[in-house]
Amino acid sequence: MSARDIDINKFIKESTEGESGILQYKPGDTLVHNLNPVTKIVVATGLIIGVWMYPNFVAPAVIFGILLGIVFASRLYRNILPVLVVVGAPLLFMMFTIHGLFYPGNMTPYYTISPVPVIESITIYEEGLLFAAMFFFRIMVLLTALLLAIVSTHPREFGVAFTEKGMPPKLAYVFLAALQLVPDMRRQANSIMEAQQSRGLDIHANVWQRLKAFFALMTPLIIGTLISAETRALALESRGFGRTKTPTSLFETTETTVDYMLQACTVVGVIAAVGWRVFLA
Amino acid sequence: MTEINFNDVSFRYTTKRDVAAVHELDFTIESGEFVGITGPSDAGKTTLARLIPGYIPHFYDGQMAGTVQVGGIDVRESSMRELSDQVGFLFENPFNQLTGASMTVLEEVAFGLEQMGVEREKIFGRVDEALETVGIADLIRRKPQELSGGQSQRVAIASILALEPDVLVLDEPTSQLDPHGTEEVFQVLANMDRKEYTMVIISHDLERLVPHLDRLMVVDGGSVALDDTPQNVLSSDDEVINQLNVPESIEIGKYLRDKGLVSPEKHLPLSVADTVEELSPHVRRSGRPEPSTTNGGVDRDVGPASNPATDVEDPLIKFENVDYYYNNEIQALQDISIEMAEGCVCVIGQNGAGKTTFVKHLNGLLKPTNGTVYVNGIDTQDNSIAQLSRHVGLSFQNPDDQIFHDTVEKEIRFGPKNLGYPEERIDELVDRQLERFELEDVRDEDPYNHGLATRKHIAVASVLAMDTPVVVLDEPTGGQDKPGNELLGDVIDDLVSEGKLVITITHDIPFARDHADRVIALCNAEVLIDGSPREVFNEGSTLAETMVEPPKVTQIGKQLDLPRTLLTNDELFKYVDTSAD
Repeated sequence: MSARDIDINKFIKESTEGESGILQYKPGDTLVHNLNPVTKIVVATGLIIGVWMYPNFVAPAVIFGILLGIVFASRLYRNILPVLVVVGAPLLFMMFTIHGLFYPGNMTPYYTISPVPVIESITIYEEGLLFAAMFFFRIMVLLTALLLAIVSTHPREFGVAFTEKGMPPKLAYVFLAALQLVPDMRRQANSIMEAQQSRGLDIHANVWQRLKAFFALMTPLIIGTLISAETRALALESRGFGRTKTPTSLFETTETTVDYMLQACTVVGVIAAVGWRVFLA
Repeated sequence: MTEINFNDVSFRYTTKRDVAAVHELDFTIESGEFVGITGPSDAGKTTLARLIPGYIPHFYDGQMAGTVQVGGIDVRESSMRELSDQVGFLFENPFNQLTGASMTVLEEVAFGLEQMGVEREKIFGRVDEALETVGIADLIRRKPQELSGGQSQRVAIASILALEPDVLVLDEPTSQLDPHGTEEVFQVLANMDRKEYTMVIISHDLERLVPHLDRLMVVDGGSVALDDTPQNVLSSDDEVINQLNVPESIEIGKYLRDKGLVSPEKHLPLSVADTVEELSPHVRRSGRPEPSTTNGGVDRDVGPASNPATDVEDPLIKFENVDYYYNNEIQALQDISIEMAEGCVCVIGQNGAGKTTFVKHLNGLLKPTNGTVYVNGIDTQDNSIAQLSRHVGLSFQNPDDQIFHDTVEKEIRFGPKNLGYPEERIDELVDRQLERFELEDVRDEDPYNHGLATRKHIAVASVLAMDTPVVVLDEPTGGQDKPGNELLGDVIDDLVSEGKLVITITHDIPFARDHADRVIALCNAEVLIDGSPREVFNEGSTLAETMVEPPKVTQIGKQLDLPRTLLTNDELFKYVDTSAD
């Protein structure tokens, strides 16, 4: 097979790194996947600013609903929903109880539970509930918007897209290499643990033993990482890393009219929202 | 084309000021030469290599005297980046030298070209060409992190070739690979166009290296001890030759010349076929071999474990119908039933045959999916790794996965201390290991001040200090010189004579031949053959299933149709008719 026969953009977008799990890139061919990564970040940021400007829960709730629709339409629910549930469920419960009971602006009783032992009755107030709803939906919009951008974009696309917008290529390399370092270090930590246990280290004993185990794990891990960093530094240097300020990129991101329109709409929308809050409200 | 010129070059590392790593190196390597560099561990081979692409003095600090010129350019006046136009460098570790930021082999090989700002269209052409040269065009879509060591090393070579250097420096390119990966890398060397490249290759593996060379340099104590054609170097009487892994075929060739059976003018044989051809007119195929005039050729297969089929009394290790699955899917062991009581047992087989999985069952790091493993009569299922470590000491392949103390002595104390032995016993055990591995002089030094070969000895010593009845060593010999291997071999023989059971996982077939009482070959999660070295190595065609080649002398004996399976050169020489006529 020849290098020319490979549609590198398509190929990279379809490849995933190791196990595809929560918070990891999931390949696909949907509108969201095909947007420029910069557009995704701009729109996500715009939405987050927007919902924070808006003074009640209606708009955040509507936007959250729309985002959920996009999550399902892009078939990314498996990677996003678990996070939303894990973060959202406890948040929902805490927000509604704490603000429902103790929000400083509480005036209008919404529901009273009685009789309650010791303190006779508990009153939940409307103002608190509305505030909790607003805050809850704001957080959910923030989470969903960012997750959508991350899960639908291959790490390399982020690097290339931001390099095209003027980010130094070295920074893009650091970002990509750091992503891969984590699974590498996890693998190494595993073999170190096995080697030390084979020398009689008991990792399940008392606190002192565990502390010792920590050193026995961390020292070889750090030394090993430093040794491989030395080799990598030399290897990169030998391959001319950082030689030109404008390296060629095999991978190219596309920016379509849809991207420009979305970016423009977001900027206009954010300016309008800020203006409205500052001058009219 | 580029020639390399060393002019009275000496270098001392800042971190090791008291010794010159290399001393007054003075030689020229002509354009298009393929030069091998070998020598004992810590002789200065890697330092020599680092001088060519300018890693010394631009990356490693130290005191440098003399000049190194590559293509007429003084490396001191140049930079690593500029020199990378001319010199490509391949490192020992197959994984560390990849960029770590590529999702495909294509991107990995293209990385350097992207950095140089080469046009997209040209990049594709050069990537194709480089992959073609190293014979891995079919891997272009694969992820670099998922490749085997041999494949990864070839991707690294392709990444260098894509930049079109004139000089290639390979620093022990196969020391961390299994035999199959090693063969892959040396195959690349065979395919390289000699008109286009100057090559400098550092290796201990003379058996595979020598056939590709124009010239062989032996470095010892920081200086060039020998420098000539490989045949002349290896037939030299110099002391340093005893520290090299001289190929068996060369030794046989030397013997035939010494006995006056072959003209000393003739080139020494390098391959099995050449050796067979030289020997053929001089061997007696039938009848009894000539009575031995030397004391060599002691039969190792007269031992307690020579007949593994019979029940062993009180086995220290017992596997009963053991299956093991990774993630409930991939079967790594299938119906293994084995007993081991004493002696040295070598486990061989290709990568992925199940060797490491097998070893991890010996001290409870893995528990069988089905079946039972008994260690010293204890079921591993009911015991923690910490409890089992009183019975089995296990030393893994990479010493850097365990070394974390600042002195050699403390490192060796770690094991017995974990087992809670009394202080006096620990002292005694530690001293014993320091003596065994000739580490007494460096007991207070930092293990990381020593080379990989010494660190490997330290790691093994720290496990032996636990004084367990069973000792398991995973690839103890990789990347060592001959004295290092011999020391390890002596230690293993010593342990066996103390009555311990030593289980060694190894790719090093000559090592297994020299020290094993019993050899177990694994293949696709199952036991392929189990017997004495002579029985197992006699089954060349069966061993091929798991990518194992019998020792060269065994192959030679087979091709000569000798009546007995040979294990050593001395055994072969008994069949040689030395009465010149």
